[in-house]
Amino acid sequence: MPDAGRAPVLEVQDLRKQFRGQRSLVDVLRRRPARHVTAVDGVSFDIRPGEVLALVGESGCGKTTTGNLLLGLLPATAGKVILDGRHVGSLSNRDLLRLRRNVQMIFQDPYESLNPRMRVRDIVAEPLRVHRVGGTTAEIDGRVREALEQAGLKPADAYQHRLPFELSGGQRQRVVIAAALALRPSLLVADEPVSMLDVSIRADILNLLRSLADEHGISVLMITHDLSTVAAYADRIAVMYLGRIVEIGDARTVLADPQHPYTRALRSVVPVPDPSARRRPVILAGETPDPSRIPSGCRFHPRCPVAFEACPRVDPPLYELGEGHRAACLLVEPEYRAAAERERLQED
Amino acid sequence: MTALVETQAPAAAPLAPPRAGMLRTLLSRPMGAIGVAMLLVALVVAVAAPFLAPYDPYESIRVTVFDIYQKPSAAHLLGTDDGGHDVLSALIYGARVSLLVGFSAAFISFLIGGLVGIVAGYRGGRTGAALMRFTDFFLVVPDLALQIVIVAIAGPSLLNIILVIGALGWTTSARLVRSQTLSVRERKFVLRARAIGAGDLHILRRHILPQVLPLMIANMVLVVSLAILSESTLAFIGLGDPTLISWGQMLNFAFDRGAVSAGAWWALVPPGLAIVWVVLGTTLLGTALEDVLNPRLKRHHLERERFPRRRAPAVDPQRPMELPQGAATAPLLSVRDLVVEFESPSGPMRAVDGVSFDLRRGETIGLVGESGSGKTTTVLAMLRLLPPGGRVVSGQVLFDGDDLLALGPAELRAVRWSRLSIVFQGAMNALNPVRTVGDQVAEAIRTHEPGIGRRAAAVRGRELLERVGIPGRRGRDYPHTYSGGMRQRAMIALALACDPDVIIADEPTTALDVMIQAQILELLARLSAELGMATIMVTHDLGIVGERCDRVLVMYGGIIAEEAEAGRLYAHPQHPYTQALLASFPDVAHPDRRLVGIAGVPPRLDNMPPGCPFAPRCPYVFDRCLAERPPAFPLTHGRRASCFLVEPGHERAAAAAVTAEPADA
Repeated sequence: MPDAGRAPVLEVQDLRKQFRGQRSLVDVLRRRPARHVTAVDGVSFDIRPGEVLALVGESGCGKTTTGNLLLGLLPATAGKVILDGRHVGSLSNRDLLRLRRNVQMIFQDPYESLNPRMRVRDIVAEPLRVHRVGGTTAEIDGRVREALEQAGLKPADAYQHRLPFELSGGQRQRVVIAAALALRPSLLVADEPVSMLDVSIRADILNLLRSLADEHGISVLMITHDLSTVAAYADRIAVMYLGRIVEIGDARTVLADPQHPYTRALRSVVPVPDPSARRRPVILAGETPDPSRIPSGCRFHPRCPVAFEACPRVDPPLYELGEGHRAACLLVEPEYRAAAERERLQED
Repeated sequence: MTALVETQAPAAAPLAPPRAGMLRTLLSRPMGAIGVAMLLVALVVAVAAPFLAPYDPYESIRVTVFDIYQKPSAAHLLGTDDGGHDVLSALIYGARVSLLVGFSAAFISFLIGGLVGIVAGYRGGRTGAALMRFTDFFLVVPDLALQIVIVAIAGPSLLNIILVIGALGWTTSARLVRSQTLSVRERKFVLRARAIGAGDLHILRRHILPQVLPLMIANMVLVVSLAILSESTLAFIGLGDPTLISWGQMLNFAFDRGAVSAGAWWALVPPGLAIVWVVLGTTLLGTALEDVLNPRLKRHHLERERFPRRRAPAVDPQRPMELPQGAATAPLLSVRDLVVEFESPSGPMRAVDGVSFDLRRGETIGLVGESGSGKTTTVLAMLRLLPPGGRVVSGQVLFDGDDLLALGPAELRAVRWSRLSIVFQGAMNALNPVRTVGDQVAEAIRTHEPGIGRRAAAVRGRELLERVGIPGRRGRDYPHTYSGGMRQRAMIALALACDPDVIIADEPTTALDVMIQAQILELLARLSAELGMATIMVTHDLGIVGERCDRVLVMYGGIIAEEAEAGRLYAHPQHPYTQALLASFPDVAHPDRRLVGIAGVPPRLDNMPPGCPFAPRCPYVFDRCLAERPPAFPLTHGRRASCFLVEPGHERAAAAAVTAEPADA
């Protein structure tokens, strides 16, 4: 279980990322400004040691961009990333590289994310070589072995000399995890870690990530679209919509009693493997809007089933609902709820 | 689609062959083996020239008129040239210069082209664009003209010739390397290396170069032949190094000094043949190398049916064909004992091994399984859309009384699509990108109803698009302007074009977001209710099946492990595989249930267990499971399960099966 008392491993404050839109020749001639695509629009959260935080949303909501910003694969437009108490933006390159060891990534596709020509041993040792840690060959050997066994590839010697194509999908994902563990990181960013794996293999990989958090105190940021996985494995959940976190809180609480209408809709469309529990899903019409044209006020209002007069005008902040549960919806505020109630009565 | 078929192919296709196998693959191809042999001969001749040549062609000799253009004789096997020198010896020594120029120049091209290509591909952006414009410039400059000018100015020394040919022959290599680098750069393992914190040099050395180098070498071999030709051309027009003997130089002297008028064919033909020999050898080898390293895309398996029309296959009498006799209505579609095999180097592999099921009018059934379970192969075989190498060995697919597997092409066409439609996963690849969506729907209508007019078809197409939730005016747009969900809707419209009785949805929502998935599933459910269509939903997602299907068939290792009405299957799974699968599948409504994965991996087609396919992973396995394949045992409520534990009379085991039900079921 996460240790609430200790300082967070990672703090993200008001992170933003804008991509410059492409301007066509016509746009340039007509002096139209380039349209910016705001992929991440003021995201804040933190992760404590040994905690699994799930970043959930549909494609285009900015969850993967957020992960890439944390890993330094993209430069942020604004905002602060504080890792192990140190502000990442203020560090020299050398310190940054050292700090980067503490955050490692697990990718979605284990068939693609391993170099087909490298042996397992070299793949797991690569991060050590890149960061020049581990020193002697014997030490590197030891750490590779340790990482492989931690990732559930036991005995390590049975796997070290294999090439990726000799491994099953689940084993490959374990190699990816072992490579991430080799540097003994404090945070793993796992981007859809099981979506490419066979159903019967998924639970084992997720159990592995959970045990890394529980037994080794490694924090995990799980980026996923799958709420049922989140329900079973995450401590906390942050739901993203169009570049913003719209609801965050304890995973069980959020899923049992979602406060944001988007979370409610998302929760309702998750297929449940239980024909006796069929219910009417809230299916939102249309698709997530283009992030270069974010709606005014609450960005969810054009698709929201319970939107009222104030929604297109007021951009709701994340209202505190107690015990770290927060939702960015006007309807959680009593005065707005009263206004919405009045509006509904008038319409009736 | 292809991805799916690949996962079911024998050895889950490795991303790149291991290196040791490459040489063997190369030599196993006639082109490669002949090319290697031809080049080896040339190389041996060049290296061993002093031992092979009967005379030293560089030795100055006294010449009399009678020594010039002597006919071939015992002393001079290929006669003598204009200087009275032995042609055979000159030919042998000429190999040295020709090959030296060829390989050195090609190596220079290899270095320049590789550098330019890798930098242009890896850096991309402005640097890449500038480098490619530079390359294009060299590509359009007439090589020969430039070579002549430069050699004429700089002087025809061997070094100059090598440098000039090398410096002008790198363009194809640069373009090839750039495109390969570009694609490797986008691969996930390069991204992963970057996420580790690796620098550009490390990534280039460890990840990019090993992927690009083999292609560069293949290309270099091809450039060798071009360089030898260039050298010959230069020498022939008098710009060869006058102090050295090369094949081009021999031709040049022979032509210049009256070999033709003297009728001295022996001075002309041998050097010409030698050039042809080496050029042919390098071309064969280079082409074979490219083939091995850069396999072209295979033909798509949906293009054309490969196996010829067969007579109705006999149903294997050995197999019991017991099916639950539930509903009184005759089934619309009956699959009986379907067996599908794929060809492989090690013999046929069974992907589907005796699948039988019924589909009744208006019913929705789910075909669930992991990759390699045979679920997609089953539906492709039903529609006779198996990929090359796939073959229906036996079985029947009875559709309204006709056996689809025995129909002729015309009859099959009439049934397929118009009465039995399929919606594939990855709809983006199934729409023609250069035609509007509306056109494609109208075309589908007209193909199956030739009588209908162009305008009427367009109107019907518009209606169809609106029916699946696409505004009619969007029919005028091209597929690339559609989002993934819209494309899948368009695919459904195409499938509905001819009012089918059965719609087969193969992983219809796999690549889509949950909300879009819900929209598509809702659409399919609504349409099948409105139009009275029966649906076969092929998926790996137990959630979708639980939510949308009336009956469920669980497939594993090419057989139907269990069949039951959906509610009963989820409440009381009977087959250990179904039990384990349900125990491993998360349920958002029960977050506290600990999920348990299934140990081991699904069986591979080339290594199918002789007994029950699930036996190696089954917690209740006993002797009989390993030796004997369990038939489908009928159970109550129209259920069946292929497991000895549910066999009537197997009391002890049956008790085990009951206790094995998950606690929360």
